[in-house]
Amino acid sequence: MTRQAWRIASATFVLVALAALIESLRYGFLDRLGPGPGFFPTCISVVMGALAVALLWQGGRPEGAPDDADGAVPRGDEAWRVLRVMVGLLAALVLLGPLGFRLTMLLFLLYLPLSLGARSVWAISVLALAGSFGVFHVFYYWLRVPLPVGAFGI
Amino acid sequence: MEALQFWLDGLRVATTPTNLLFALIGSLLGTVIGVLPGIGPAAGTAILIPLTFKLDPIPAIIMLSAIYYGAMYGGTITSVLVNVPGEATSVITCLDGYQMAKRGRAGAALGISAIGSFIGGTVATVALMVVALPLASLALTFGPPEVFALLVVGLSLATSLAGRSMLAALLMMCFGLLLALVGMDPVRGAPRFSFGFAALYDGVGFIPVAMGLYGIGEILLSVERPYQEIIRTKLSSLLPTREEWRRSVGPIGRGTVLGFFLGLIPGVGAVIPTFVAYILEKRVSKHPERFGTGAIEGVAAPETANNAYATGAMVPLLALGIPGSPTLAVLMGAFTINGITPGPLLFREHPDLVWGVIASFYVGNIFLIILNLPLVGLWAKLLEVPYQYLYAGVLLFCIVGAYSTRQSIFDVGLMMLFGVLGYVFRKLDWPLAPAVLALILGPMLEQTLRTSLEMSGGDLGIFVTRPITAAFLILAAVILAGSAMRAMPLRKLA
Repeated sequence: MTRQAWRIASATFVLVALAALIESLRYGFLDRLGPGPGFFPTCISVVMGALAVALLWQGGRPEGAPDDADGAVPRGDEAWRVLRVMVGLLAALVLLGPLGFRLTMLLFLLYLPLSLGARSVWAISVLALAGSFGVFHVFYYWLRVPLPVGAFGI
Repeated sequence: MEALQFWLDGLRVATTPTNLLFALIGSLLGTVIGVLPGIGPAAGTAILIPLTFKLDPIPAIIMLSAIYYGAMYGGTITSVLVNVPGEATSVITCLDGYQMAKRGRAGAALGISAIGSFIGGTVATVALMVVALPLASLALTFGPPEVFALLVVGLSLATSLAGRSMLAALLMMCFGLLLALVGMDPVRGAPRFSFGFAALYDGVGFIPVAMGLYGIGEILLSVERPYQEIIRTKLSSLLPTREEWRRSVGPIGRGTVLGFFLGLIPGVGAVIPTFVAYILEKRVSKHPERFGTGAIEGVAAPETANNAYATGAMVPLLALGIPGSPTLAVLMGAFTINGITPGPLLFREHPDLVWGVIASFYVGNIFLIILNLPLVGLWAKLLEVPYQYLYAGVLLFCIVGAYSTRQSIFDVGLMMLFGVLGYVFRKLDWPLAPAVLALILGPMLEQTLRTSLEMSGGDLGIFVTRPITAAFLILAAVILAGSAMRAMPLRKLA
């Protein structure tokens, strides 16, 4: 499984290197003072592409890449837990602007422990309140670090 | 004598009540980070950077440095008490530390670990004072070609020692360099790779990337198989017996020397000194069969080497501006956020800061030994916090940290993207350190390369005709060739 993942990752990097190379060529390799803005990116893109191709080739050989049975891809409960965290993070990202820090974090900190199997209402509530309104207060008022305020003024 | 005078001035800075307080807070927070599984020192330091935003640079750096070496000690506690290494450098301590705990000698294991860490850290700080200033003075004579070649050595070391596939490590380095290119061209000022996003004109922020790769990535990995079952051991007297003392003297001495010198080499990483110290002790021991069954030497040597390394690794960071490990790269990012550029000029431009920070290492080491032994039971209790709450709290601080650096929701998204990438790279066993180091060193690498070529009118010969540059580049080539040869028998590892 890992070997397959290596191949996919290497192929992705080949594409990234190719895109970077095309973009780099727009910047000018040399100018009248010497190396231009595209000089270093072009060099890096070429080296990166070559390495990714080599890794792709290596990953295709049986002895080239590890083939750990203890999976690169999580399954069952493991996968669900990872997915729940990712969903929570994505939702927090989307809501941070419109709802502001306090409400977003309140929802995030209610959702995440619950979705991971925590069942103590008291502990979850304390964490959610302290982590949203409490942290906002500390950073915004004490440390003078501006955190986002949402459409409701919260 | 000059260094001593500077150090005395630094001690005055480090012992002001404010700086003492922040060293104390940093030591405590660092220990907590070290204790908690799933949060490594790099992630922990990155997450706590926002706490220093409104501080003056000196207390901010003192606090973050204290977090760094506090974390190095904290990992030991759980290794000994519950056989769970708080961070990677404590893995080797589990072997004998936990066996000692099972025989009722947990206190002695923690005691010798704290004492060894204190001695290693303190002696290494003296060595740092001796080495750093001459090295910084030497580095001031370097021109762009020499600096470029030195950076190549640093990157090649980081690449060669990270992970089991050298190709993957090199690819990750290129990935980091490519990320470093996003934003304004450092020489001509033209935007690159910004694709019309104004948020990318300032480049890819180091903090969101580091927090994502290390913080979010670690949490995603940990949440797959969270720690649940903790085997408890009793904590008895914290003082080793006379016999244990006798057996620990040599390992502490050797661990100090080894840790410090390995710390001087950028890219070695914090884990290798602990393993080398352990292996060395096993080799020189008259009773190697004791190792793995609760030999105190197996705790004293790696723990001492670990803290000596942590201090030694500050030498290339402070004197040359080259971070030797991901945690130090994060620390370097914190320096930059506070308007300070680590490197040879630091000793000239900010002597109060650099010597204050160096002197604070002594203070921090004293705090660690005074606080940690009585508080061992409390630290072990932290492991009882259910992972659901712990990870939610860590993610909260990641979001705060990523946002507050530039007040940008875009950076929060960037951190999450890199969190997923960090998770994937870990699953693939591709090393993160080369990418992080390349991201932070990339702009300097490009600038020195291009300036060198402008100096020579585009002639690459400038890198071989200057003796120091040529020597550095040959060294880098030797390092890479050696690593490539080591990487050949991959089929045996796979």
